[in-house]
Amino acid sequence: MPPEAPETPETAQPRSFEWRRFAPPIALLLLLAVAILLPPGLQPGDLRLASLDRTRVDQMRAVVAGLPSSSVVLVGFDPDLGTYPEIRGTVRALLDDLASHGARLAFASFTAEGRALAAAEIDRLVRRAGTNGETAAKVLDIGFISGAEAGMVRAVTSIVPSAVTGPLADAIRSRGGGIGAFDLVLIVSGGDLGARSWVEQVGSRLRSVPMVAVAPTFLEPELAPYLRSDQLKALLATLREGVAYAEEVPVSGAPRDRAIPALPMLAGMLVALGWLAVAVMQRTTGRLGPGTRRGRAA
Amino acid sequence: MRRSLSSVATVVAGLLILLDLLVVNSSLGAAAGALQELLILLAAAAAVGGSAALVTRHVRHLAGASPDRIGSIVLLAGMGVVLLAGLRPGSAGASDPVVLWLVASLLVPLATALFAMLFFFLLAAARHGMASQGREAVVMLAAAMVAVLLLLPIGGPPGDLLAAAADWVRSVPLAGVFRGLLIGVAILAAVTGTRILLGVERGSE
Repeated sequence: MPPEAPETPETAQPRSFEWRRFAPPIALLLLLAVAILLPPGLQPGDLRLASLDRTRVDQMRAVVAGLPSSSVVLVGFDPDLGTYPEIRGTVRALLDDLASHGARLAFASFTAEGRALAAAEIDRLVRRAGTNGETAAKVLDIGFISGAEAGMVRAVTSIVPSAVTGPLADAIRSRGGGIGAFDLVLIVSGGDLGARSWVEQVGSRLRSVPMVAVAPTFLEPELAPYLRSDQLKALLATLREGVAYAEEVPVSGAPRDRAIPALPMLAGMLVALGWLAVAVMQRTTGRLGPGTRRGRAA
Repeated sequence: MRRSLSSVATVVAGLLILLDLLVVNSSLGAAAGALQELLILLAAAAAVGGSAALVTRHVRHLAGASPDRIGSIVLLAGMGVVLLAGLRPGSAGASDPVVLWLVASLLVPLATALFAMLFFFLLAAARHGMASQGREAVVMLAAAMVAVLLLLPIGGPPGDLLAAAADWVRSVPLAGVFRGLLIGVAILAAVTGTRILLGVERGSE
């Protein structure tokens, strides 16, 4: 075996460069892991994620509390993968709230992404129910409905496919088989077919069924007018509102399942702020920009 | 005015759907329903066509000297596994437990992991933009900094102040700009729709 060549500065440089490149993300991951795993007793007490204004939380709770016993709720589940983490906790709290009021839930999706996330959420609900067959029987998977907005219009008169069976499917069919059979429509928005499509396509044809929505923050300006015009009975559309709502709902399952902790979020935001501040400062002092070495490399 | 076949079809379909919304008539409802069914079938056909085109493209990648052969193999294998699970004898189709497991335990966690990396990508992209772009990047990132600052999850009087400022930004300037955009898009869509319904095509002006 030939003797190993001595390490020269040229060969040593890439290794240190790689280390410099990967060290910050690893350090950030460690920081976030520590922030998540830190016991509640060691976390700073004056962090607050929940909204102080409880108007929308109260509206949503009032709609859920006003449902008749053994109500049937259609969950139009069409979030997108990118923004679902923002509303996941709120959606789970709302599903818990509906379940604790005895509501039976039927899930339908009009987008492929929504269907994938609905399958995961239904799987979670059924797994959590475990051997409790009664809870599992309160969940119906209608599945993916093709045709986008045209499919939504058709669902007004017929939403349960013939292949879907069970007591809840029979109950919906006995009430007419369309969206009118439901006591409430909960719209989980985020994708292409969100609360706006529901209001336009379903609300205009079927005014009798109340609709409520959960949406990520970027949809709030679009959906707030529908709340004011009463086309949506309730809307939770920011992280703060969602956390406030989740805090109001009694926890039946594991609290970690839906709580969004404030500390890791604060840590991530401070890191982002610091990173951006350094970049802006370097740019304003001329150390970063189109004319610099880094700029030419970019 | 010269009208193409597609324009005529669009006009007839649009007017039928509009009339069905305005007039309660069972025959009109049935005709509009049939049109909706046709649209659903067309959407399904487009989805199948898209999938077939994707398979063809990646098979061609594998046959040729594509640099991303592994990506093509993973994509085709993934499609094959889901199709096999859904179409095998005795399967319940899209609601089959195997399909649901593939989606809930494999696809969603993988996609979630991918999106979890957005934080790092965004920070890297911000710096990249700052290094290579003009003043617009600085303005955009300064605005992003203000947004992050306003959303800091802190309590007490400073937290109340930040939360109130964030609410004001969201419900006044941001909502104004956003709704202005939406109204502009809606007007444009209405104008385009009217032009199509009236058969006014660009070439006939």
